Amino acid sequence: MGGQVISFRVDGRSVAPPYLQIVQQVKQALRMGVLDVGDKLPTVREVVAATAINPNTVLKAYRDLERDGLVEARAGHGTFVRHRPPGPPPGTHSRLGRSLARWVAEARAAGLDDESMESLLRVALRAETEEEIA
Amino acid sequence: MIEVQAVPEAAAAIRTSGLGKRYRRVCALSDCTITVPEGRISALIGPNGAGKTTLLRLLAGLTRPTNGELTVNGGIPRQEPAFLASIGFLAQEIPLYRRLSAEDHIGAGAHLNPRWDGESVRERLTALTIPLDRAVGTLSGGQRSQVALALTLAKRPRLLLLDEPVAALDPLARRNFLAILADAVAAGGLTVVLSSHLVADAERVCDHIIMLAASRVQLCGDIEELLAEHQLLVGPRKDTSAIERDHRVVQVTRTPRQVTMFVRRCGPVIDPAFQASDVSLEEVVLAYMGQDAPPARAQLNSIGDNQ
Amino acid sequence: MTWLVWRLHRTQLYIAAALLAALTILLLVTGLQMASQYHSALAACGASHSCATLASTLFLGSHAVGFLVIMTLGVPALFGLFWGAPLVASELETGTSQFAWMQSVTRKRWLAVTAGEMLLAAAAWGGAVSALVTWWSGPDNALQLDQFKPGRFDIMGIVPVGYALFAMALGLCAGALLRRSVPALAVTLAGFIVVRAVVTIWLRPHYLSAITVTYKLFSPFTPTGSYWQLAQGIRNPAGQLVPAANGLAIDGIPVGSLPAACAAAADGVRPTASCRQALGAFHGFITYQPANRYWAFQGIEFGIFAALAALLIAVTAVVVLRRDV
Repeated sequence: MGGQVISFRVDGRSVAPPYLQIVQQVKQALRMGVLDVGDKLPTVREVVAATAINPNTVLKAYRDLERDGLVEARAGHGTFVRHRPPGPPPGTHSRLGRSLARWVAEARAAGLDDESMESLLRVALRAETEEEIA
Repeated sequence: MIEVQAVPEAAAAIRTSGLGKRYRRVCALSDCTITVPEGRISALIGPNGAGKTTLLRLLAGLTRPTNGELTVNGGIPRQEPAFLASIGFLAQEIPLYRRLSAEDHIGAGAHLNPRWDGESVRERLTALTIPLDRAVGTLSGGQRSQVALALTLAKRPRLLLLDEPVAALDPLARRNFLAILADAVAAGGLTVVLSSHLVADAERVCDHIIMLAASRVQLCGDIEELLAEHQLLVGPRKDTSAIERDHRVVQVTRTPRQVTMFVRRCGPVIDPAFQASDVSLEEVVLAYMGQDAPPARAQLNSIGDNQ
Repeated sequence: MTWLVWRLHRTQLYIAAALLAALTILLLVTGLQMASQYHSALAACGASHSCATLASTLFLGSHAVGFLVIMTLGVPALFGLFWGAPLVASELETGTSQFAWMQSVTRKRWLAVTAGEMLLAAAAWGGAVSALVTWWSGPDNALQLDQFKPGRFDIMGIVPVGYALFAMALGLCAGALLRRSVPALAVTLAGFIVVRAVVTIWLRPHYLSAITVTYKLFSPFTPTGSYWQLAQGIRNPAGQLVPAANGLAIDGIPVGSLPAACAAAADGVRPTASCRQALGAFHGFITYQPANRYWAFQGIEFGIFAALAALLIAVTAVVVLRRDV
């Protein structure tokens, strides 16, 4: 399909419902710089043809994004990116991603499996939230 | 009592009330009251013999009900060209002429239908690299299904009824079929009811569900709302009469220490002893299919008491 | 819908047309030969005043073609067999009848157009073959005067059209009831043969009351034209039927049934006057249908088969339309 900047992947087995997966993938693309302000999102029909999900799901996702102010629907032309989500500058993700990869390598060398690493992360997130509350 | 969402009169593609069909001594469908709003892709789920095919054929006007009423696309199904043109019915046995090619079928369709978009058939089939000039009997099962679907969509129906359309297809063929279906609905003006065994497909492409078991309707409504209304409650074994009174318990399992209840909430569940978790569509379907007979409170209680 | 019927069955219709063309050529060529043969024989016998015996001396045509023409007895059934029975049966069996319905054609219209077109084709085919054979048999009929007889009656005139309609209707009905091509074929063939046999042997002689004429032995009576003889014989004065004579006979009466007065004549002596007087009490009879009833009989038989066809089509309609398919 000519001119599509982003293609979606909907995992039927994920805990997140399909519409949420689309919202998250759009936000992620915006954060990573794949999508920029002014880009056109794939049409409902394009998404549906590629993923075989219900068209209302796509509509709902796009409405959510519109409500959050990230995109705007222009009648007859499609849905376009309006704002980036608030967050760190684009480079941050790759920088943090790299240091995370280093940490993962270190943890694995120390003998931790995926589950232990995940629970460490969860503990750290919770601790941080509790700190903020406190 | 089955709660059916209230839909404004004009917007329902299908509306039935107390619909029933009896063949001699066998009751294929009884007391079926459902509503399918326009623009939905509805999954008709149920075990074999639950009455799915019977319901589809009643909706298509292929057979007449023994009791109850139904309106389809705002009218009563009857054998007349106007009604036939407004529905599309795809039976499990794909009715194509094996010796004729897809192109021949397109030609036939042009002569037989009041509204006909033959070009759309060619486009869809070419996009799937299905040859138009070969005898249909030489194509694979998945390709034949696609030809039949494309031909049915070309007559621009308002309601599409599909009887186990993807049962015999491989995963890729299944995905392509559902994608074309969803795309047709996205284009507007189409409502779909497809019967299936596979809940996974339903969850992906459907936004409405009709569940049949033992020739009766167990569930009918938008999937999202039904998922929000159902919860799994797990807690220590104790008196559950309060919950049973305030909400509708679909299934109960009791062990000496624990009680697990699958409920349909009427309002929030305020009981700290119970841990509530969301459920998937498959769990909902299984819970309702696990019932042997139309739900009765006394019956459910006795299941637990025997343990 | 017409387009679809044509498209589905065009191969069979082409084959039928080709067969008809072949038959036409064959009959045209041999028929013209026979006609000229007949006319020159007529001219020759006219000159030599031997036309009365022409019927027994002139043989028109060849055995092979005559055989072929007799085979056209079964031709009406062919249409019903190969195009009627499988038509509805296979459509119902494979479910392709659903295709037309899927494309907004009501079952009523599907049946009406399918059956209607097939019946029309059957009638056209039967009519064409019959016209050919009737024309071809012209000289032979004029010579032998046997067109009213069973075997000849059935292949000329309008009755073949009736048979074709009946065969097609029977095929369609069997197909609708049995829903499988091969059993439907078998039932159609068997049914056609049985009904034709019953009508020809037991019904046809009685469409109109036969005429019986009795006559004196010395002035036998022969009906004129192409009459259909149903029975003929000699009765003795007591009214008993005299057995047929083979071997020595006087006036057709075998030796064993001769009256006493003719005993001597049995040995080859010329019959005496008293023998002649005794024989006068015998009389011959002939029961027949007169030649001028030929077209009445054609019409009645056509009507019977057309009515049967209509009945079968009605049954087919009820079966196909009422069934909760």
